[in-house]
Amino acid sequence: MKRLFLLVAILLSGAFIHVQAQEQQFQTVITPAFTPITWERLVNAADEPQNWLMYSGALDSQRHSLLDQINTENVAELEMKWAYQIPVIDRAETVPLVVDGIMFITEAPSNVTAVDARTGGVYWRYDHDLPEDLRICCGRNNRGVAILGETLFMSTLDAHLVAIDARTGNLLWNTEVAPYASGYSKTAAPLIVKDKVITGIAGGEFGIRGFIDAYDPETGELVWRTYTIPGPGEFGNDTWSGDSWATGGSATWITGSYDAELNQIYWGTGNPGPDWNGDVRLGDNLYSDAVLALNGDTGEIEWYFQFTPHDVHDYDAIQIPILADIEVGGEMRETMLWANRNGFFYTLDRATGEFLYGDTFATVTWASGLDPLGRPIRVPGMAPTYEGVMVSPPIVGATNWYSPAFNPDTGLFYVTSFDGEQEFFKRDEDYEEGERYTGGGGRYTQPMDAFHSSIRAIDPTTVDIVWEFPIMPRSSAGITTTAGGLLFSGSADGFFFALDAETGEELWNVSLSRRVHAAPMTYEVDGEQFVTIASGNVVFTFGLRD
Amino acid sequence: MSKLSGFCVAWLLAGAAFALSILLIPRSLAEDAGNLYNTVVDIRLGERYFERQCGRCHGFDATGNDEAGGPDLTGRLTRASTDVAIFNVIRDGIPGTAMLPVPENVTDPQVWQLVAYLDSLRYDPESVVLAGDAESGSDLFWSGSDCADCHMVSGRGSRFGPDLSRIGENRAPDDLLADMLNPQENVAPRWWRLRVTGPDGVSREGYRMNEDSFSVRIMDDDENLWSFHKDDLQSYERIEESTMPSYAQSLSESDLDDIVAYLFSLRREEI
Repeated sequence: MKRLFLLVAILLSGAFIHVQAQEQQFQTVITPAFTPITWERLVNAADEPQNWLMYSGALDSQRHSLLDQINTENVAELEMKWAYQIPVIDRAETVPLVVDGIMFITEAPSNVTAVDARTGGVYWRYDHDLPEDLRICCGRNNRGVAILGETLFMSTLDAHLVAIDARTGNLLWNTEVAPYASGYSKTAAPLIVKDKVITGIAGGEFGIRGFIDAYDPETGELVWRTYTIPGPGEFGNDTWSGDSWATGGSATWITGSYDAELNQIYWGTGNPGPDWNGDVRLGDNLYSDAVLALNGDTGEIEWYFQFTPHDVHDYDAIQIPILADIEVGGEMRETMLWANRNGFFYTLDRATGEFLYGDTFATVTWASGLDPLGRPIRVPGMAPTYEGVMVSPPIVGATNWYSPAFNPDTGLFYVTSFDGEQEFFKRDEDYEEGERYTGGGGRYTQPMDAFHSSIRAIDPTTVDIVWEFPIMPRSSAGITTTAGGLLFSGSADGFFFALDAETGEELWNVSLSRRVHAAPMTYEVDGEQFVTIASGNVVFTFGLRD
Repeated sequence: MSKLSGFCVAWLLAGAAFALSILLIPRSLAEDAGNLYNTVVDIRLGERYFERQCGRCHGFDATGNDEAGGPDLTGRLTRASTDVAIFNVIRDGIPGTAMLPVPENVTDPQVWQLVAYLDSLRYDPESVVLAGDAESGSDLFWSGSDCADCHMVSGRGSRFGPDLSRIGENRAPDDLLADMLNPQENVAPRWWRLRVTGPDGVSREGYRMNEDSFSVRIMDDDENLWSFHKDDLQSYERIEESTMPSYAQSLSESDLDDIVAYLFSLRREEI
């Protein structure tokens, strides 16, 4: 045995030196000091547009920046300032944060890097150890971090939440949110609300039971958990036949929003499980495919609105809730604007959850409209079958998790939309812990180019499409608008572009050659505005020609 | 204990565990006994597992998913050419990619059923019995018909239709016959036509060589290439049809069979 040990030691000494050499590439360099991020600064994030302090820019998730140095007059002069190559080859879905000239970029599978926002030069990199037998539905992704004080908070694919020192990249705590081997994972940026880290969970294709959690940012301890499927005896549990609630999915895999005056957290929920076989979970399946308004201190559900009761098409309500005050029927209302994966646009009263009005914004065949309460009027014969049935929107939806934007200057809501169709199939499956539990699937019968993808500008007071800009093929990029009158987005064929937010006119584009699968963000350092987008495996930053 | 020596010990322990695993654990069943799980029932079970666990990335029918990045598994596989190699990719995954290993609780027989299902999506071209004669088909293709006026094979012919040099790898004989009888079914977007009016006010029509969000490129009937920024176009019309006529009337059944046999023989030459 001793000999064996010695042999192994000799064999591995070579490997060890190699690993050490690799380690040195990422040796820790401390970032410059920055003013710690207080809750007050996060509440007023829009007032410091030089920084991008959270995933959706501000707590209302409008993704509208007040920077206007780059504007409709000069946007054609944009040029690339730097590019950061993510060392792990995978798809980048990151929206970086910028704090006082320091940028935090999350990378696949579950890493984060701090770079100089002027040059892309790396300060430090945190590598998160992952098990090999992850349970993830849709690739190895991470969309971003949250920051409070001098600490970053990040979701990891093994369903942990980690806290990282933003100055050094050192791990502060690492909390298991849920057991990954049971099908749980985490991909979305957390949201800071007051003195808590609010975060959701993924795993809607693995028969999990979804929830929204709040953690203590100092210790990583769970403060409260609100399940997105009511347990036995709770209101709504009877909307699930038998024990189906226990494996009903309703994941929460994108970031929510917060209204400081109403003290409500808003968070979308995903599909009921199994996705395409509703026979085993009869009923409305609360609170799947819904938006929940949670008390900002206790996490209690104050109201809910379910977009797609008893969904059988995987129409997750995993969209970012946009909070905007707009004029409805002659009076200003506190509303929530929501273009849903199911093809309908909804305007809700965000104080109460009351449905104000809604209509389709893309091709929809599964429902003929919305009733006065906002419930869909279903078209018969559109549920998946063993042989397959053609339905619009397809599984990927009329839109999906891609960040929309609202521009208070134009009063328009912007969304990446898709008019497509797909054959939906149903299958019988038994739940097995840690295995996929989807009950079917979908198949395109036409090439992607036969479908229509675009950015649509929607008047949220009428749900009229004011303009649209076609892009191809189907886009999965998010949108950001600026006080410079611009809309930035990307495309699946690798373009990053700017449109006139008012008219949809094309003003500038550049080919980055790889799919844009993230949302742009903008910031300012030393008086110079930059715009950043991830394309393929690279984070590109643009600014005006010197 | 310093960080460094802790790291050393961790490596040594890991190494010892690895060495022990080599000595004590029998190697995977995936050596080379052939696939013992390839009955009709196995294939069906493999298909069920595939639809459930693999379809999200590789497509519900295994034809791939461009967006998810999972390749088409119904043709020639790039990562594995034998059943054992396919087994190992499924069992172990492909490190550094989204191709994760199947969970440990999935048994080897289940993985073999998956292999059997993937095998069932392919066939040995030698085993296909053809009604026609490839040599006669070749004569017809090159001199007894107008096929070569549009198509190219191994650098010979024209570029007004898909290059057929390796068409036999992707299309079964029934598909090839259907293509000749009903060319308007499933026209690939590359062979649609575009009619555009450029900034010079001239209207041009041609094959849709390329189209992205901001530009188009067409080839007109004189083989001239034209590129335009969409923003500059005065008009744009997409004709989602094929220029290929149906040969249902103009060729006899036996001629069609011969051409099918010829086309089916067109595949990459094995080196």
